[in-house]
Amino acid sequence: MERLIKLLFIAAAGIALLAGCKKETKITEVSSGKIIICFDHRVDDLPMVRDSLMYTNEAGNPYMINEIQYFISDFTLYGAGGSQVVIDDWKDIHYVDTDIPETWTWEVYDEIPQGWYDSVSFTFGITAEKNKSFMYVNPPERDMFWPEYLGGGYHYLKLNGKWLPAGQAYQTRPFDFHLGIGQIYFSYPDSITGYVQNYFTVCPPGSALQVINGQSTKFNIVMNIENWFKEPHIYDHDQWGGYIMQNQDAMALARENGHNVFTLELCKK
Amino acid sequence: MPGLFPVAVIVASLIFSCSKKDDGTEPEQPYQPHPYSLEIPYGFPTQLNIPSDNPLTEEGVALGRYLFYDGRLGGRDHPDSLMSCATCHLQQNAFECGTDHPVYTNGFTHGINGKPTPHVMLPLFNLVWNSNGYFWNGLVGPDNPDEHYRNIEDIVWMGVVVEHEMDSDTNRVRELIQSIPGYPDLFEKAFGSRQVTMRNIGRAVAQFIRTITSAESKFDRYLRGEEQLSPQELNGFVLFTTEEGADCFHCHGGSGNPLFTTNKFYNNGKDSLFTGPYEDPRDRYHVTGDPMDLGAYKAPTLRNIIFTAPYMHDGRFATLDSVIHFYNTSLVWSPYIDPLMHHIANGGTQMIPQEVSDLKAFILSLTDYQILSDPDLGPPEKFPDEE
Repeated sequence: MERLIKLLFIAAAGIALLAGCKKETKITEVSSGKIIICFDHRVDDLPMVRDSLMYTNEAGNPYMINEIQYFISDFTLYGAGGSQVVIDDWKDIHYVDTDIPETWTWEVYDEIPQGWYDSVSFTFGITAEKNKSFMYVNPPERDMFWPEYLGGGYHYLKLNGKWLPAGQAYQTRPFDFHLGIGQIYFSYPDSITGYVQNYFTVCPPGSALQVINGQSTKFNIVMNIENWFKEPHIYDHDQWGGYIMQNQDAMALARENGHNVFTLELCKK
Repeated sequence: MPGLFPVAVIVASLIFSCSKKDDGTEPEQPYQPHPYSLEIPYGFPTQLNIPSDNPLTEEGVALGRYLFYDGRLGGRDHPDSLMSCATCHLQQNAFECGTDHPVYTNGFTHGINGKPTPHVMLPLFNLVWNSNGYFWNGLVGPDNPDEHYRNIEDIVWMGVVVEHEMDSDTNRVRELIQSIPGYPDLFEKAFGSRQVTMRNIGRAVAQFIRTITSAESKFDRYLRGEEQLSPQELNGFVLFTTEEGADCFHCHGGSGNPLFTTNKFYNNGKDSLFTGPYEDPRDRYHVTGDPMDLGAYKAPTLRNIIFTAPYMHDGRFATLDSVIHFYNTSLVWSPYIDPLMHHIANGGTQMIPQEVSDLKAFILSLTDYQILSDPDLGPPEKFPDEE
């Protein structure tokens, strides 16, 4: 009995000692910086001029741009060692509107580990997983809604302008180059049998960048507007007309051309 | 020096322990009106256009309702000269004039002196969800460099002074309201002062206007899963929200924007000439200076549209049928037509009669009958001096 008491005493003392030992926490400081993404819109390497019939696309259509609105999402940086940093701490979808200067700059909330990144990518539009109707109730994002009948969610892109049809001297026609969920029709336009996700991943060429501890790295995502109509497919407004939300063939061309629309350039300090 | 500390504490205690005024009454409590709880309907924006210096309060809204309906808001008390907001904004017509107004013919209003109002009325509900400017051209809005033209509060004094409405002056209004028994008490409850000011008149009326909401149409119940649309209405809904159909939704919203307006400004193809004798000093261009805004006007909400004839900024269409007919066959090209008006290529949407009928059926499903008789929005049984 006496032995048992001794054992219990020793065990209790041991537990007390163990519990009393302060845990050694290893504090690992991850050095990080911020990124600021600016959105720029150009035609033929020059800043976009709105409302002026001064451009000609690859198909030979004289055209003007009136306004552009779009979403990008899932912005990702790829580290040299295969690491990935996905921007999603505060928000993972960014809205850009050529009429709203506040949307032209995205000061990313996330802390980005310092170091070199070989490349970046982003989703143009919103993936099917996230593109849900009614998720935006406030303008301006709200006004991008894509009708449920046509697949729901939100427009990826509204690029609104006018072009001068062949044979016309001055009477322009509006074009609404809108991209979103496409439809498969059994009998057009009132019998939809399926939907097509038209969002796509953009990997801008030459997008290596460095994030420096405690600093903000600023870069431009440039939309080279002429490329929507240029390659690999020449997009002819005379052929596709003024609206394409219910024309999956046209939206497929837009999607494929969209891979070549964006470039990234670092801002000089 | 340390010895002074206890003395200071005692003096301070004496000062703070004086809980009663000299006259023995309780001290004045800080002015604290009761916050007004505004319900946000399903799918509606959570961003509200409520200025930080004029939050909604129960007392402010109650006072605003009295003023909205009180014909003495125009600064005159002769029975023949009464004019209030409600003189033109009739609840039974969804707070518009309507074509059956006992005074104004076919929905065209005029001021107390007979001077015609330049543009026809815009809907006066769901304004709390508009942060993109008021009036057909958005003159009163957050971007106006003049701070007196920024919000609903400012529209109240404008309505008082302009010739084509009350044609009065703010001093006259302020003095008359001050002299009416009961109003000073209500101003004190709402704003902490018995002194009637034009600023507080504007604040109160604006508060009441922000509570005028419409979200109880058949389509609202459809969105909430409470009621089904008829096959005809559903077909109209498809036409409303497709480019191959009527493509109304880009400017007028839909299920994703149940306000049924973007509150933006568009040249919708009504005219081809905008200068010289055709110039309208009240279009969007005359606010922005941007030539692309020539002939552009706010897209009004389509809710309760059946009560809000005549249509367009100048009331050129007397019926909803004539509006649909215009969009279907009669669009007019100009260099300034909005790019969303892609149907201009064919002169209009070119719907067949059955589609026109279906589209109209859907638009009528946006009618909210509750707002027409909601007692909280209607005239008070008695005015303050009648209590």
